[in-house]
Amino acid sequence: MKLKVFLSVFVVILGLAAGVYFLRPHTFHGTVIQSPEPSFDFTLTGIDGDVSLSDFRGKMVLIYFGYTFCPDICPATLANVGQALRDLGSKADDVQVLMVSLDPERDTPEKLAKYVAQFHPSFVGITGSQEELDKVASLYGIFYQKTEGSNATGYLIDHTATLLVLDRDGYLKLVFPFGVTSDEIADDLKYMLRQ
Amino acid sequence: MSKTFFNGIYVVATLLILGLLAFKVFQPIQVLPRMRLAPAYSFIDQDNQPLTSETMRGQFTLYSFTYTNCPAPCYNSNETIKEIQSRIGEVQLNGIPVSFVTVSIDPDRDTPDALKIYGESIGADFNIWKFATTTNKELLKTVVGSGFETYYEDKGDGNFALDPGFVLVDGWGVIRAEYRYVTEVSDADRILRHLGVLADEAHNSVGSAKLAYEAAHLFLCYAP
Repeated sequence: MKLKVFLSVFVVILGLAAGVYFLRPHTFHGTVIQSPEPSFDFTLTGIDGDVSLSDFRGKMVLIYFGYTFCPDICPATLANVGQALRDLGSKADDVQVLMVSLDPERDTPEKLAKYVAQFHPSFVGITGSQEELDKVASLYGIFYQKTEGSNATGYLIDHTATLLVLDRDGYLKLVFPFGVTSDEIADDLKYMLRQ
Repeated sequence: MSKTFFNGIYVVATLLILGLLAFKVFQPIQVLPRMRLAPAYSFIDQDNQPLTSETMRGQFTLYSFTYTNCPAPCYNSNETIKEIQSRIGEVQLNGIPVSFVTVSIDPDRDTPDALKIYGESIGADFNIWKFATTTNKELLKTVVGSGFETYYEDKGDGNFALDPGFVLVDGWGVIRAEYRYVTEVSDADRILRHLGVLADEAHNSVGSAKLAYEAAHLFLCYAP
């Protein structure tokens, strides 16, 4: 009898622990957004012409704002995103990465296409007029401004270095801060792709 | 043994469901929703200094919208901010700074000098309460209209149609609350309470407690 009671208590405790473990919310590595409305749709220019955010409905979309002359932050982030996609394997087919260049003076669509392909062949680079970029960047919480650089780099562009994740329906779901690793990106994307 | 096992499973499932229900009903932790990203901007403030969305990173910012020739609704908004300004010490902020940014929708008339005179006239403490705008009207409309979702329209006779309200943004640049109307409690009481909720989350949501806070978001345990 005592053994039965002991076993029952043991099973309950074990089950509770397992239940709490398996039902615990996924701990994201970025800030989760519970946006009640889809994100602002925009159309910018890529190497093959106009590219709209809504072209990628049905896929998870990662948006990164940067520029090809960016000395460190942009290549580091894009390299991590590229690695995360490789870690996802075939699931990466359901993810589209868009890099929006904030430097239309120097970043032509051709140059952008070459640049982003270094990180992953599926990445798409887009840009637009200053007015278009001002609007898109503002509505995605991206501050940017030109600053002086060296003779070697030319001018630089200070910009918010967050990485944005939109779900298959175009809702902003996650904001990664600068410094997020490829493992962390892959971990969150895997979870979100299962939803 | 198998009977004991299945009884155990039932008890576990019941306890888990009861636990989840209790969490939802009693809401031991309350949060504010992470509604959307606040728009980025680059404005000029009342001291002719740049004021950008990046400047406000790491602090809670309460935005309001006005023009200095605005009649009663803007006056009421200012009174609310003044009350919050004077009572901010009541809130346990855990060292997180709070700022107020009042954005003018009338850059033609609301120059930095005009904004400064206006701020002084209503008793603003410029250390924490900034007045700002930009002469780029298209961008202003994007930031205020589309970003903060605050409707305004130039009536062309020196007046604007404006839906006054407040928008509360956290230190990550995420909109956490919008106040579009006067509720049963005053906006000042509600905003002060919400600042406390944000500060609690920022301070306590670490380690295993972060899971509880994420659960509060998941179960929509929102502070009223």
